[in-house]
Amino acid sequence: MSLVRTEAASPSNPGPPSDSASVRERLRNAETVLWHRGTFVAAVLPFLGLAFAITVVAIKGWPAILVNGTHFFTGSTWQPGSTYGSTVYPHGVATPQGASYGAWPLILGTVQSSAIALILAVPISIGAAIALTERLPRSIARPANFAVELLAGIPSVLFGLWGILTLGPLLARDVYPHIASIMPDVPVLNFFNSPTGHGEGLFTSGIVLAIMIVPIITATTVELFRQVPSLNQEGARALGMTDAEVTHSVTIPWVRNGIIGASILGLARALGETIAIAMISGAILGHTAQNIYSPMTTIAATIVSQLDSSFTDATGFATATLAEAALVLAVISVVVNVIARFIVHRTGKLGGPVGRG
Amino acid sequence: MNHKVRKSLKASLLALPTLGLAAAMSVSLCSTAGAATKKASLAVVAPPTSKVSLSETGSSLLFPLFGSWMTAYSETYPNITVSTASTGSGTGISSALNGTANIGASDAYLSPAQVQATPAARNIPLAISSMFIAYNVPGVTDHLKLTPQVIANIYLGKITNWNNSAIMKLNSGVMLPNLPIVTVHRADGSGDTFLFSQYMSVTNPSSWGNSIPIGTTIAWPNAPGAIGATGNSGMVSTCGSTPGCLAYIGISYLAKAQLAGVGEASLKNKSGKYVLPTSATMTAAALSFASKTPKTGTLSMINTSAKNGYPIINYEYAIVLSSQPNSTTAQAIRSVLSWIISPTNGNSMTYLTPVGFIPLTPAARQNSANQVAAIK
Repeated sequence: MSLVRTEAASPSNPGPPSDSASVRERLRNAETVLWHRGTFVAAVLPFLGLAFAITVVAIKGWPAILVNGTHFFTGSTWQPGSTYGSTVYPHGVATPQGASYGAWPLILGTVQSSAIALILAVPISIGAAIALTERLPRSIARPANFAVELLAGIPSVLFGLWGILTLGPLLARDVYPHIASIMPDVPVLNFFNSPTGHGEGLFTSGIVLAIMIVPIITATTVELFRQVPSLNQEGARALGMTDAEVTHSVTIPWVRNGIIGASILGLARALGETIAIAMISGAILGHTAQNIYSPMTTIAATIVSQLDSSFTDATGFATATLAEAALVLAVISVVVNVIARFIVHRTGKLGGPVGRG
Repeated sequence: MNHKVRKSLKASLLALPTLGLAAAMSVSLCSTAGAATKKASLAVVAPPTSKVSLSETGSSLLFPLFGSWMTAYSETYPNITVSTASTGSGTGISSALNGTANIGASDAYLSPAQVQATPAARNIPLAISSMFIAYNVPGVTDHLKLTPQVIANIYLGKITNWNNSAIMKLNSGVMLPNLPIVTVHRADGSGDTFLFSQYMSVTNPSSWGNSIPIGTTIAWPNAPGAIGATGNSGMVSTCGSTPGCLAYIGISYLAKAQLAGVGEASLKNKSGKYVLPTSATMTAAALSFASKTPKTGTLSMINTSAKNGYPIINYEYAIVLSSQPNSTTAQAIRSVLSWIISPTNGNSMTYLTPVGFIPLTPAARQNSANQVAAIK
C-alpha cells in the first residue's frame, strides 16, 4: 500500500537485509498508528465542528434568548428599535429602546418554502430517475444524467438571478393569475387566491428551491435504482407485470428508504438555502405570507440580509438575535433529520418490500 | 489660514504631479506649520516613507469611488497600498471600531451608543451624496412630482394606487394609470434606508416620526404588496421589472436606473419648490448646512431650508479610530484622508461626477481636516 514500503523493497534501493527489515517493520507500525489516529481525528472532527458551531451560536445568542423569550417564536414584529436613541436594559441586557424581535414569519417562511419545494421536487426527481435508468435509451440517458449532475453544481446565486429576472416575472404574468382564477374560495385552496403579486414571493421561492434540489434527489435516486437486482425485476416481468407495475411494485419499494433519505438531503439544502431566497422571496419581514404568492422571507435569508445592519446596533442585541435565529434554524434541521430517520426506521420495519425476502 | 501655509500649499499642489519627492517634502513642511494653528492645514499630508498597507471596508455606495480614489492616490504615493472592500456600512463601522480595518466607509454617521462604547471613534465627512426617489409608472415620461407627505402615506399603506387624487393633484396634466403602487425597500441593512427613514421622520413628524425609529434597517409599515430588494442594484432591477414600483435609490445608480426604465421624482422641498438631485440643488442644500456641521461631523442634512436645495443629501463618512496602533499607520491614514478631502485631488469633480456626488463645502472640509489632523 504505502509508497515508502515499495521503495524500501525495490531493487534499485538495496540495503543491508536486516536493516531493511527493521525499517520496514518500524514504518509499518508507524503507518498503523498514523492510520488509527488519522481515522479517529477524521471521525471526531465533524462532531467537534458541529458542537463548536452550535455552542458559539448559543453563547452569542444567549442575551437575545433571554430578552426575546417565547415571543421570538410567536411574535411577528421585527423591530430593531431606536439604534440612534437611548439604550435600555431588560433582563440586564443592553438593547436599543423599542427593540422587539419575533421570528414566527421567518420560521413559517422557511418551512413553507421548503415544503413547496419538496412537494414539487420529489415526484419530478423520482420520475426523472426512472426515465434515466429504465426508460430512456442509453445514448440519451447518459448525457441527460450528466446534465442532472451538472445542475446540482450550479451556484445558487445563478438560480436567484434567473428567478428574479426571468422566472418570477414570467410566473406572475402568465401562470399565477390562471392558478388563482381556477382556485375555489374554500379553506386551504383559498391560499392560492389572488392577489398574485409580482413574482417575488413564497411560490416562486418554492419553485426555485425545487429546481435546486431536483438534481440532488434525482442523482441519489438514480444510484439507488441501479442497485435494485435485475433478477427481481426480471422475475416480476416473467410473472406478466408491465414496466409500470415493475417500477411501482418492485423497484421503488426496494429503495423506498433510500428515496426518503435522498429527499431529506434535498430538504436540508432547501431549509438552509440563503442567497437565492434572499433574492426572490420579496424579503418581507414583519408578517407571514398572506397567500402563496406573497413576499416572505426565511431564517437563512434574514440572517444574511440583516447581518450588516445588525452591526450598527451598538448594544450588539441585533447580532445576538440573528445568532438566536441561526440556532433555531439548526434545531429545525436536526428535528427534520430525526423525523426522517424515524420514518426510515418505521418503514424499514413494516415487512420487507416486495421481492426482497 | 496664514500666508505661509497657503503659499506652501500652492507650492505643493504645483509640485505634486511632477516630482513626488519634492512634493512630499513641501507638504510635510506645510503640515507641521498647519499643526501650530488652530485650523488644520488643508494640504495633503505626506505619507510615511516606509511601505504601509491599509484596509478600507464598508459602504457599497462609496466602494466604486473609493476604488478610483485609491488607484489615483497610489499612483502618487506607490509605497501606500489601500485594499478596498464593499461589505456594507454596518460592517464598515464595526470593522473600523474593532480595528480589523483601518478605514470604515459608511453612509450613516455613528450612533451616540457607538460613540459611547468607542470614544476614539470618529466619523469624518469625505464627500456629499444624495438619494433619489424612483418609480416605474408606465406612460409617465416627465419627472413625477411628489411631496414627502405623499411618499410617507404610500409607504404607510394609506395611498395604494397611482391614480390616487393626492398624486393626481400634484401632477395635473399627467395621465396616471390605474395601477397599484408597489413600495420597494432595502431588505439588507443600508445607509440609504437610514437616509430615507430620516427624510420620512423629519418631514412627517406626526405620522412617521413617532412610530418608526430611524436606522439602517427599520420595521417597515405593512403597505400592501410591499417588497424588499437587496442592494442598490437589486432596487434598480426590482423597480425596473415591477410596474407600479416606488423606491429610494442611491444617487450613483441614477444612470443605471434610467437605463432600466425607472423614473426620478421631483421632490417638493421645504420652501415649496420641486427639485431634482442635481449638482446645483445638492450644493445649495449643502451650503445651507455648512455652518451647522459640528466638529464631530455628525449631521443630518435632511430637508434643507435653501430655496433651491434638494431635501435628501448626506455626508459620506470615513469611520476611523483617532488613536492608531502606531504613528506610521496614523500618518498613512492622515495622508489618504487628507488627499480624499482635498478639492484638487479626491474631492475634484473628476472623481465625484461619475457617481453623482458633490465635494465638501469649505466649512465642512476644514472640519474634516481638523479631525484628520487629530488622528495619532
